[in-house]
Amino acid sequence: MYDLIIRNGTVVDGSGLPGYQADVAVTGNRIAKIGRITEEAGKEVDATGKVVAPGFIDPHTHFDAQLLWDGAAKPALSHGVTTIVPGNCSLSLAPLKADHRMRLVGMFNQIEEMPYKAFREGVVWDWETFSEYITRIRKGLAINVAPLVGHSVIRLWVMNDAATERTATDEEIAEMQDVLRECLDAGAAGLSTSYVDMDEKLQPVPSRYAEAREVEALAEVLGEYGRMLQIVPEFYDPDLTIARLDQLAELSIKYQIPTTFSPLFVNSDNVASVDKVMERVDEQFARGARVWPQVQTRPIDISFSFAVPSLLFIRFRNWYNIMRFGTHEEIRAHFADPENRKARAAEVAELKDLWAGLVLRQVKTDANQKYVGKTLGEIARDRGVTPVEAMIDISVEEDLDAHFLAASMGHNDDGRVARLLNHPRVHIGASDGGAHILSFSTYGDTGYLLARFVRDLKTVRMEDAIKKVTSDTASIWGIPERGLLQKGYIADITVFDPEKIDRGVEKFVQDVPGDGSRYVRDSHGVDTVIVGGGIAWSARDGYQDARGEILPGARESQPELVAAE
Amino acid sequence: MSDLSVVRKSILPEAGDSWASIAGRELPGLSEQEAVSSLQSWNLHVYMRAPAPEGSPRAGNPILPSDVIFVEPPLAAS
Repeated sequence: MYDLIIRNGTVVDGSGLPGYQADVAVTGNRIAKIGRITEEAGKEVDATGKVVAPGFIDPHTHFDAQLLWDGAAKPALSHGVTTIVPGNCSLSLAPLKADHRMRLVGMFNQIEEMPYKAFREGVVWDWETFSEYITRIRKGLAINVAPLVGHSVIRLWVMNDAATERTATDEEIAEMQDVLRECLDAGAAGLSTSYVDMDEKLQPVPSRYAEAREVEALAEVLGEYGRMLQIVPEFYDPDLTIARLDQLAELSIKYQIPTTFSPLFVNSDNVASVDKVMERVDEQFARGARVWPQVQTRPIDISFSFAVPSLLFIRFRNWYNIMRFGTHEEIRAHFADPENRKARAAEVAELKDLWAGLVLRQVKTDANQKYVGKTLGEIARDRGVTPVEAMIDISVEEDLDAHFLAASMGHNDDGRVARLLNHPRVHIGASDGGAHILSFSTYGDTGYLLARFVRDLKTVRMEDAIKKVTSDTASIWGIPERGLLQKGYIADITVFDPEKIDRGVEKFVQDVPGDGSRYVRDSHGVDTVIVGGGIAWSARDGYQDARGEILPGARESQPELVAAE
Repeated sequence: MSDLSVVRKSILPEAGDSWASIAGRELPGLSEQEAVSSLQSWNLHVYMRAPAPEGSPRAGNPILPSDVIFVEPPLAAS
């Protein structure tokens, strides 16, 4: 007797081959049989009319903090994601000395928009080493986690304040190598570094003070384990991106490691640049390098209020400074002042078309409800002011609790995005799950892929889409025994309705520790999500079993490869 | 990387590098002023960077050890 049987579904097994009708049986945490199954099981899932696929793997997230209070990385699991990779962009929450905690929290706040209060009220700081962090998050884990360790954090651990002052000595680099080995032994899936990110004082993060020889020394250690190196290049410039991917390619070839860089966006005005980057990716793969560009499926939407610093204002120094460093009262008083209002409006006047197109999505007073859903251009005409003035005035009237949406800011040319998503050397990822929680929802990218590109536009085959986010990802990251529906593989399975799967409407919810809020999207059309053979979530019964694991796991717990008899 | 099709020449800074030291090493045929000016115009991602805080060991020099520094202008589109 099996523990679980999924009956009558269309199995799309992650290989890219056509789907087929079959039942899937699970015993323990593994797939026991695929085919016609006449026996019964303790639990059964009726998948009639639905697709049965391997669980989706999200290779670029920042759930590091959320995992401390939410082992399901909600709502990622409900979207069919069974494995997440946190610790990207040089930032992880371990190894971390007690003295450095608030400094790292500042970086997470600046780069990933994770509120200070969530750390103060949602986190019991009971770890320092990577191994202790893994022990901490393993309790109640419902989703699999393949954690990267951050270069900035390793640098801070070894060099303390000097991490953001100077290059490392030979002795310090050797110590960083030892620390990385400890992290990899404890279960880290690789190392992340960044060439663009800034800390809470708008100064470069520690990884940016590293010479190339330091990164190479760490890549040498990754080579001992065959693990991933992830970087954030200067993605706004194709020549810089190419220079970085050339660096990655040399490390990939020399130390025989997989590497990945993210993000890579395509817009109508940068097609030639993206083509240039992809030509270089092709050339480097032809040389034997593994340099995977990560491309997200969703267009760039940015939501914001004046209460928090938004990415939208980062290039306007006075706007960003008051939003970043001002208290709530100071921000409100600043924009209520007629002289400041005039100066701030002038500062952003060059983007007048952008402001006119923003949509007011949420207010709290009755007086302004009539404007919800309208563009700032429409509201401005009604009020006899400019769109920017309307945005400022409504924010002040709403005590900063007015929310605006800048929709389709980029990466929104469906044809060009589909061309990238179909490219054999593109890695679908870069969701940023768990990050930027006050700017946009980072959940539901797989639902968007299957709804927009597979079902509606028919520009990506279902089997290809699923292969990209399952077996391709598992292979790229060296995650064994997952990503395929195959007898003997671990039973990470997502059952969904291909006619209904989608991401829900973005909404602002208060579910972050410390009374914090974030933008999220519910899943649509996902029926059942199975992790390690247990039903982790279903549309009918919500969150259930917690069988998540750390992947690829501590060295001693990894399966040994043995020759077939 | 001689087998790659197009490479815009760039270097990675050496310890303590400044615009002037890179100019002297990479563009020896130009006057220092002209070489520094060229480097800055080809590397706006560094030149336009916000200055380091006062008292920082980096004060006065925006170049980071991890930077890519281009030593020629952008190549013409093919």
